[in-house]
Amino acid sequence: MLSLKIENLAVAFPGLTAPVLAIDHLEIAAGSGVALTGGSGSGKSTLINIIAGLERTRAGHVFWGDQNFADLSEGRRDRWRAANIGLVMQDFHLFPGLSAIDNILLPARLSRVVTADLVKRAHMLFQTVGLKRPEQHVETMSRGEMQRVAIARALLRKPGVIIADEPTASLDLESGEAVGDLLLSVAADAGSTLIVASHDPRLIERLGRRLSLKGGQIVGDTQTGEMAA
Amino acid sequence: MIRFILADLRRLWLGGAVVVLLVALATALGVAVTLQERSLRLGSARAADKFDLIVGAAGSETQLVLSSIFLQAAPLPLIDGSVLTKLSADPRVDWAAPVGFGDSFAGYPIIGTTTKLVAGTTPGFAEGRMFALEGEAVLGATVNLPLGAEIKPMHGTAETGGHTHAGPAYKVTGKLRPTGTPWDRAILVPIQAVWHVHGLGEEHGHEEEHRDGDGHHHAHEGKEHHEDGETHVEGETEEHATPVAEIPAVQPAKPAFALGAASSAHIEEDHHGSIDPDALIVETFGPSTPGLPAILVKPKTIADAYRLRQEYRTGSTLGVFPGEVLTRLYATLGDAKMILSAVAAGSQGLVAAALVLVTVIHVGQRRRQIGALRAFGAPRLSVFTIVWLELFLLVALGIGIGFLIGLAAAQIGAQLFAAKSGVILPVGFTREDLRLALVFLGFAAILAAVPALLAYRQSPATALRA
Repeated sequence: MLSLKIENLAVAFPGLTAPVLAIDHLEIAAGSGVALTGGSGSGKSTLINIIAGLERTRAGHVFWGDQNFADLSEGRRDRWRAANIGLVMQDFHLFPGLSAIDNILLPARLSRVVTADLVKRAHMLFQTVGLKRPEQHVETMSRGEMQRVAIARALLRKPGVIIADEPTASLDLESGEAVGDLLLSVAADAGSTLIVASHDPRLIERLGRRLSLKGGQIVGDTQTGEMAA
Repeated sequence: MIRFILADLRRLWLGGAVVVLLVALATALGVAVTLQERSLRLGSARAADKFDLIVGAAGSETQLVLSSIFLQAAPLPLIDGSVLTKLSADPRVDWAAPVGFGDSFAGYPIIGTTTKLVAGTTPGFAEGRMFALEGEAVLGATVNLPLGAEIKPMHGTAETGGHTHAGPAYKVTGKLRPTGTPWDRAILVPIQAVWHVHGLGEEHGHEEEHRDGDGHHHAHEGKEHHEDGETHVEGETEEHATPVAEIPAVQPAKPAFALGAASSAHIEEDHHGSIDPDALIVETFGPSTPGLPAILVKPKTIADAYRLRQEYRTGSTLGVFPGEVLTRLYATLGDAKMILSAVAAGSQGLVAAALVLVTVIHVGQRRRQIGALRAFGAPRLSVFTIVWLELFLLVALGIGIGFLIGLAAAQIGAQLFAAKSGVILPVGFTREDLRLALVFLGFAAILAAVPALLAYRQSPATALRA
C-alpha cells in the first residue's frame, strides 16, 4: 500500500517544444482507486510510464511512499517496480509456449525470487481470478482469460500499487466487465493503490477518483464517490 | 529461465532449425577439411610404417615411394639385380626383399616378392598359408577371392589396355590379416614367378606359346624391341640357350614391370614366358637376378638405416626413407589444406555475418516481448541472458552437429579412399579439434552477445510502445 506524490514533473522529448507531460503537484492516497482519462496525445501513457518507473524522471520528483524514482538507477528502478508495482497491460503481454501458471511465475522466476510459498500463492491467485486449468497454454485461452492470467501475474508479489493501462480495451463487453470487477475486487482485498488508465466509462465510474489529462496537463480531478469493491 | 528459453525456441523452431543448419554446415566444412587432411597424413604414414628403407633406381623419390608403398601404377626405372644380391649379403641388413609389379588381376595389383617380406610386413595369415611353390599366391586382406581360386595375371590393368598372359595361373593358398595399407589390395606371388611370366631370370622361354593379346605380330613388336639396343637383342636370343648368366646385363636400361604404360607393355610382351607352378621357390638371389623396380630393405639398426641410405644414394641407385618423402609430400598437401581451410573460414565468416543480421532483426521483432519482460520486473541481466542463451544454444548445437557431420563426411571420404587405395585413413578427433571447438564456441558466445546487448540497452517504455 503506497501513496504517490508528484512534484514539478516535466517530461519533454527532443524535437518537441512543449513538454508531453507537465504536472506541478499530484498526490494519490495509499489504497485509493484512480482513473486516468484523456485522448491520445494527452500524456496519459507517459504518465503511466513515469509512475511505473518504465521511463526515467529527468525533471521533478516522483515519490512512491518515501522512494523517489528520480534517485534510482535503471536497474534499481526495475527491481523496485518488480517488487512493488503490479502491471496490467492492454495487450496482456503473456508469453506463448508457457502455461498459465508459468506465465504468472515468469517475472518472479527471472528475478530469482520464487519460493515454494510464492508458487502456492500463484496457484491460489489462479483460482482467485476464476480460472481452472493452471497448465493450459496461454495461447489457447480466450482474451478475457488471458487478462485474468495477467492480473494474477500482477498480483503475485503483493504489490502496493496496481497500474493498469486500458485493461478492458481489447476485450468484449462481457469479459471487459468481468475483468474490471476482478481488478477492483483484488485491489480492494489487498488494499493496493489502483491506478487505471481507461476509456471504459463503466470502469471509470466505479473508481473513486478521476483524473483527466489533456495536452500533458491535468485538466480535471474529480471524486466520483466511494470505490466500488 | 531455461523453460522460458525452451518455450521460445519451440515457438521459433523453424528459424532456429535454419540457424542450426547454417552453423552446422559451415562448421562441418571446416571440420571435414581438417579431419580428412590429418587422416590422410596418418594413414599414409601408417602405410609406410613397415617400409624402413626402399632402394630403387635413380629417379623420382616420390614415384618410388608411391609405387612401392601405395602400389600406384607408373613405370619405374629398374635397378640391377646385383644390388639385391649385395644387400642380401650385407651384415647391416636384416632382410632385403625385391618388389616387382606390373601385372594385375581383376583390378588387384599382383606383386612379386619374397616370403620374408610377407612375413615381415604383415600381421600373419587369416587363413591358409604362405606361398611355397612358384604357382601359388597369397591374398591381401581386402582381395575378394576365395582360397584355391585361380589367378590369371593380366599385364598392366584392364583400364589401360592390358592383356592377359596366356599361360600362367596362380593358385591362392592363403589370405593375410589386414594391415590397413594398400598392400591389403595386393595379390602377392613369388618374385620368381613374376620374372618367369615375363620371361626373365632362369628357365623362361617358350616364346612359341606366347600369344599377343593386342593382336600384334611378333615382328612388329621386335622392331620396338630392337630400339633398346644391340645388347638387348643378344640377350633375347641367349634366353633360349643359356638362360642364366646373360640376362642381368639386359635389364637395367629397360623401364619394364610398368603398369599401364603402353610402350613398356609392348616391350614386355616379347618376354612372355610361363611359370612352372610346381617349382619350389628360391629366395637366394645370385648374380643372375634380373632387374628390379624396388627393393625393400629392413636394416638392423637405425644407424644402419642411415648408413645404407647414404650408400645407396649414389650413381644408379636411390635409397629413400618413405617417411621422409611423405613428410615432403605433406608439406605440399599442407598448402592445399591451407587454401581449403581459408575457404572454410570464409564460409564460416559469411554464416557468422548472416547470423548477426538474422538475430539483430529478430531482436527488433521481439522488442515488445523484451520490453514486456523488463516491465514486469525481469532484471536487465536476465533479459541479456535469455537473448544470449537462446542464440548461443542454437549456435552451439549447430557447432556440435557440424562436428558430427564433418566427422561423418571425413569417414565416408576415408572409406571411399580406402576402397580405392587400400590405405586405411584413421579419422578421429584430437586435442587440436577440442581447441577448435572451444574457439568456435567462444566466437559463438561473442556473436550471441551482440543481440543480447541490444536487448539489454533497450528501454522498456520505448520497446512497449513499438
